[in-house]
Amino acid sequence: MRAEILTSLRRVLRDHRRGFAIWAAALSAITFFYMSFWPTMGQAMVDAIEGMPQGLMAAMGYDRIGTAAGYLEAVVYGLLGPVLLLVHGIALGGRLIAGQEEDGTLELDFAAPVSRARLYWERLAAAWLLVTGLVAAITLAVLVSNPLFDLDVSPANVVAAGVGLWLLVGGFVTAAFAVGAATGRRGLAVGVVAGLAVITYVFRGVANAAGIEVYAALSPLSWFLRPDPLANGLDLASTLQLAAITLVAAPVGLWRFRRRDLMT
Amino acid sequence: MTTPVIRTRGLVKDYGRTRALAGLDLEVQAGEVYGFIGPNGAGKSTTIRILLDLLRPTAGEAEVLGQAPAAGGPALRARIGYLPGELAMPARVTAREQLAHLAALRGGRGSERVDALAERFTLDLDRPLRALSRGNKQKLGVIQAFMHEPELLILDEPTSGLDPLLQHEFLDLVRETSARGATVFMSSHVLREVESVADRVAVIREGRTVDVDSVRGLRARAGQRVSLTFAEAPDLAAFEALDAVRDVRLEGATLHCLLHGEPDALLKLAARSRVTHWAARDLDLEDLFMDVYRYGPDGVDGANGVRDAR
Ligand SMILES: Nc1ncnc2c1ncn2[C@@H]1O[C@H](COP(=O)(O)OP(=O)(O)OP(=O)(O)O)[C@@H](O)[C@H]1O
Ligand SMILES: [Mg+2]
Repeated sequence: MRAEILTSLRRVLRDHRRGFAIWAAALSAITFFYMSFWPTMGQAMVDAIEGMPQGLMAAMGYDRIGTAAGYLEAVVYGLLGPVLLLVHGIALGGRLIAGQEEDGTLELDFAAPVSRARLYWERLAAAWLLVTGLVAAITLAVLVSNPLFDLDVSPANVVAAGVGLWLLVGGFVTAAFAVGAATGRRGLAVGVVAGLAVITYVFRGVANAAGIEVYAALSPLSWFLRPDPLANGLDLASTLQLAAITLVAAPVGLWRFRRRDLMT
Repeated sequence: MTTPVIRTRGLVKDYGRTRALAGLDLEVQAGEVYGFIGPNGAGKSTTIRILLDLLRPTAGEAEVLGQAPAAGGPALRARIGYLPGELAMPARVTAREQLAHLAALRGGRGSERVDALAERFTLDLDRPLRALSRGNKQKLGVIQAFMHEPELLILDEPTSGLDPLLQHEFLDLVRETSARGATVFMSSHVLREVESVADRVAVIREGRTVDVDSVRGLRARAGQRVSLTFAEAPDLAAFEALDAVRDVRLEGATLHCLLHGEPDALLKLAARSRVTHWAARDLDLEDLFMDVYRYGPDGVDGANGVRDAR
C-alpha cells in the first residue's frame, strides 16, 4: 500500500507551525508599525531627502518616498518584506530536503513507499503554503493599516503587490529548495541562493541609480517593482517573469533529485 | 530454487574515490534470518542503502524480492521494513506522532500494532523525541520497522543501544517474525549478536564477501585450542608437521596449538614424551570470526577453516 496523499506536506506544516506563527505575527506587527509612521513621517521624509544626492535615493528606492505608494514600496515591498521573507524563506527552502537529509531526519521518509517525486512536490507545496501565509500576513497588515493611517493606496493594488512579493519570495524559496534537493547540501543551497538574492538587490540599486537597464532586466526585484504595482496594479509580463523562476527551478531540481544518491 | 529475496552480483559502490563495495555477492533465501557481519567501514550500511534505493550502485546488480530497487520503487519499499544504522529523529514531535507519520507513509498500515509494540519494548509514546535516550530512539526504530509486518526486514545494527534485556526481546521478535515466514537481513559488527537467531551468516570485509556459512557450519569449523605442558620442551617441528594442527607456539615447556578435526595424531605424538598438564577449549565463533576479520579471504580455506596467519 502506498503513502496516504499529503502525508509529507502535512508533516512539513506540523514541523513548522510554531515558527510560522511567530513569523506571521512578527511580520504583520513590523509592517503595521512602519505604516503607523506615515502620518507623522510623510512630510518629514519629503524634507529629509530633499538635500540627499538624487542617485543614492534612487538606488535605495527612496526617490518617491514622499507619496504614500512610494513610502509603502520603499519600506514594505522594497525592503522589509522581501528582506525578512527571503532570509527566512531561503533558510527554509534549504532545510526542507537538503538540511533534513544531512541531519538524517528524512531517512525513514526516503525509505518509505513514497516516490522521490511525490516527496519533492509535497514538501515544495508545503513551503509555498508557508510563504503564502506569511505574505498574506503582511498584505493583511497593509490592508488594515491603509485606511487607519490615511495611505489611500487602492486595496486592489495592495493585493497586486502582494502577488508580486509572493512570486518573488516563492521563487527564491523554490530555488533554495531545488538546489538543496539537487545536491543534498544545505549550506551550498542557502549560500548560492542567498548570494543571488543579494545580487538582485545590488542590481536593482545600480539600475535605479545609474539607469542601466541591463541590471534591471537581470534583477527579479526590479521585475517585481519596476511596473509599480502599488500605483498600476498587476502587470502580466512582470508576473510571468517572477513565476518563471519557480517554473524553471522546480523541475530542474527534481530531475537531479531523482537520479542522485541520498544521504552521502 | 525459488528467487532469492536479496541477491547481489558483483556489486560495486564508489563514493568519489573511495571504493566502499568492491564486487559484493549475496544471496538471501526466502524465510531466512541472515546475519551480515563485518568490521567498521566494511560496507554493510552501503549495501543496505542500495537495497532500499537510497544509493545507486556504481556497477553490478542488486535485486530485492526479484526487482532492482530503483525499478521496484515505492511498491517494492512497501514490502520492506527498514531500521537505519544511525537513526536520527526530528526533535519536536512525539514518538506517537512520528509513528503515525510513518504509518501514513505506508498507507496507514501498522498503526494498529504501535501500542502493543510500545508496551512490549517499554517505550513512552508521548514524550518528544528530543527527550528520548539513544536506546529509546532505537526502540522506536525497531517498532517502526516491524509494525507493518513486512515480508522483508532489513536491519542495520539493530541491537546497538539496546540493553541486554531488550536485546533479548528484540531477538524474540526476530524469531516470531521469522516464524510467520518473513525474511530478516540484519547487520552487526559481531557474530555473537546474531548467532542465536541467524540461519546463515555472510562475513564481509573491505566491500567483498569473505565467507558465507550456516552458524552450525561455522561452529564445526571453529575447532579447539589445545595446550600441552611437557616435562621437557618438545620438538616444535614435529607438531607443526601434523595435518590437523595449526598455530603452534611454544611457551617454555608448554605447547599451544589450534586443532581442527580428530585429536588422534596430536595425542599420539604428545604421548611419546611425558605430559604433565593438558587443556583443550572449544574455540568460540568469535575467535574464528576475528581471524576472518583480520586476515580476510586468505585467512580462511575451504577445507579447514582458519589457516594460521600469525
Ligand atoms: N558518504 C560517504 N562518503 C564517502 N565515503 C563513505 C561515505 N559513506 C561511507 N563511506 C565509506 O565507505 C566505506 C563503507 O562504509 P559503510 O558505512 O558502508 O560501512 P559499515 O560496514 O556500515 O561500517 P560501520 O560498521 O562503521 O557502520 C567506508 O570506508 C566509509 O568510510
Ligand atoms: Mg554502518
